[in-house]
Amino acid sequence: MILEAILLGLSTGTYCTMYCGPVLIPFLCGSEDLRYKRNAGLVGTFLGARLVMYFILGAVFAFLGLLVNEFADPLMVRKLAVYAYIFSGLSLLFNSLGVKFPWGCGENGGCKSPKLKRIGNDWVTAVFAGLAVGLHVCPPLWTAIVRSIFGGNDISGLFYFVFFYIGTLPFFIPLLGIPFVTKHLPALRRIARVTQVLVSLYFLIFLGLIPLFFE
Amino acid sequence: MISSLILCLMMGILIFFFVPLMSNFSISSVIYAVFLMYLYVRMTFSERKKPGSSAKYRSIFQITFAVGFCIAFIADLYASRGSMAITEGAMSSAEIPFCHIAIPQVLVPLLITKNIIFPARIAGHYASVASMLLIWLVCTIVLGRGWCSWVCFYGGWEEGFSKAGKKRRINLLPKNKEIREFSFGFFAFIVLASLCELACTYCEWFCPFKLVTEFSPIDSIPSLIGAVMFIGLFLGLVVVMPILTKRRTQCSALCPFGAFASLTDGISMFKMKIDTDKCKGCMKCAQVCPFGAIDIKTIQDKKGSPELTCAKCGECVRACPEKAISIGFRFDHKCGSSAQKSKTKFGRVIQELLEPAQLFRFAAFSFSVVMSSNFMTRAMNLIVRAIIK
Repeated sequence: MILEAILLGLSTGTYCTMYCGPVLIPFLCGSEDLRYKRNAGLVGTFLGARLVMYFILGAVFAFLGLLVNEFADPLMVRKLAVYAYIFSGLSLLFNSLGVKFPWGCGENGGCKSPKLKRIGNDWVTAVFAGLAVGLHVCPPLWTAIVRSIFGGNDISGLFYFVFFYIGTLPFFIPLLGIPFVTKHLPALRRIARVTQVLVSLYFLIFLGLIPLFFE
Repeated sequence: MISSLILCLMMGILIFFFVPLMSNFSISSVIYAVFLMYLYVRMTFSERKKPGSSAKYRSIFQITFAVGFCIAFIADLYASRGSMAITEGAMSSAEIPFCHIAIPQVLVPLLITKNIIFPARIAGHYASVASMLLIWLVCTIVLGRGWCSWVCFYGGWEEGFSKAGKKRRINLLPKNKEIREFSFGFFAFIVLASLCELACTYCEWFCPFKLVTEFSPIDSIPSLIGAVMFIGLFLGLVVVMPILTKRRTQCSALCPFGAFASLTDGISMFKMKIDTDKCKGCMKCAQVCPFGAIDIKTIQDKKGSPELTCAKCGECVRACPEKAISIGFRFDHKCGSSAQKSKTKFGRVIQELLEPAQLFRFAAFSFSVVMSSNFMTRAMNLIVRAIIK
């Protein structure tokens, strides 16, 4: 059972990186004073928040009886994905505007908004973005949730899901090397900040608001 | 002189093979072959008199190619679909022609998912995508980002508009660094967004050249928003900004392929070099660079070569009054002029033939001939037919 869960995670972990990469890579690369410990802490916080959201989703689905069919309703999944994009876009945007806007318009790097400094704090962003990305229900995740719910007793189901999640984690190991890269390529930090603003706006407008209101 | 004649002869053979012979000696192909030959001969011999003067003929070629490509492409679309709009049938049967700008968007998803996310003609086979990737790889090794200023069939639009205005109204030189950062940031965004969505984000929302190729039909609010973006970006970055700045603004700020080509340019054989001993710091090269690859700091810090985004167009060579800029082999640290001259005539001819500027021009123009022959012949056929009618 444990082996199956880990293997499921390992074989499908690329999906997780596909959703988390666009949020995590520019966010981490653009961080000020990024040391190995802080970087690992931010990645861990993000992944922890994502796991919490998965637990919440699993509990809500189970409570609503949505797991009985063993198939996710595509419309519901799409709606959740839209909210995932809106929330992760907003959290990246607040982080950009409050802490690390790519270009300062004043002498002292002035374009950052002091009002957003707290909500756009790196640690708060890691938590919110992790929770938001957790709203993406991809097929492997659905499989894991269903398997964990129907696995027998609650504890083994919980373990199944945790080990599935552990199976996906090796794909995030390269992110621990980001401080090494940014140290040797300082220009990357400003480029990553530009990317972060663009990703946040794209998530918010093109993948969030437009599908929410017009599709 | 002899080396130039030899190169012209070789180019003549290449043009003969790829243009008239491939098109069964149709009138339009012969006209196009003569036009190409004229450009290459002028390019080669004018360069002997004044270094960098070939840039003018490169410019003429690229503008002609851009217009001809669009004529042929749009005519093809009308012939096969009856409109420029992408139909659902074309989309579902993966009948969208693959374009080089999509390459950086498909590579990462291809590595991870083993699928090509572009709905190109890949039903059952990957021929068109594979051939485009192969062309890109060969071109990168030989030309590097030189593709953008010699071969790219979209770049000619901006090239044309940037030459349209007489006076520069906006000077972007002090903002070069920021523009470069934006272009790489935008490139990273496009790669990440394409990976996240498993779709070509740039093609879906940001490509200004949809306006002169094909576009999604406007049948919903999102498609209307898309159309407004395409038109806005085309008018803004391909028409208005190049006129005002005399620069290729879309190429230097938005095109993901351009940024990608800049990053992979390090494996190409040729590189622009600035002789820091000759350079007097007049900044004329920086003012004329259409890609913003020469900053004030590049000259002040005596870096010896333009920045990463140099597309080897040769405009700086033409502008430099001190003849301090030249094209050289990337791994050759000696300047061309300092190389020892051969004592025999035969040796001098060989030396001239192997001169990096000559070789680069020959390679770049060969690519241009190969890439343009089919489209341009068809475009000229259409124009000739329209005139006769």
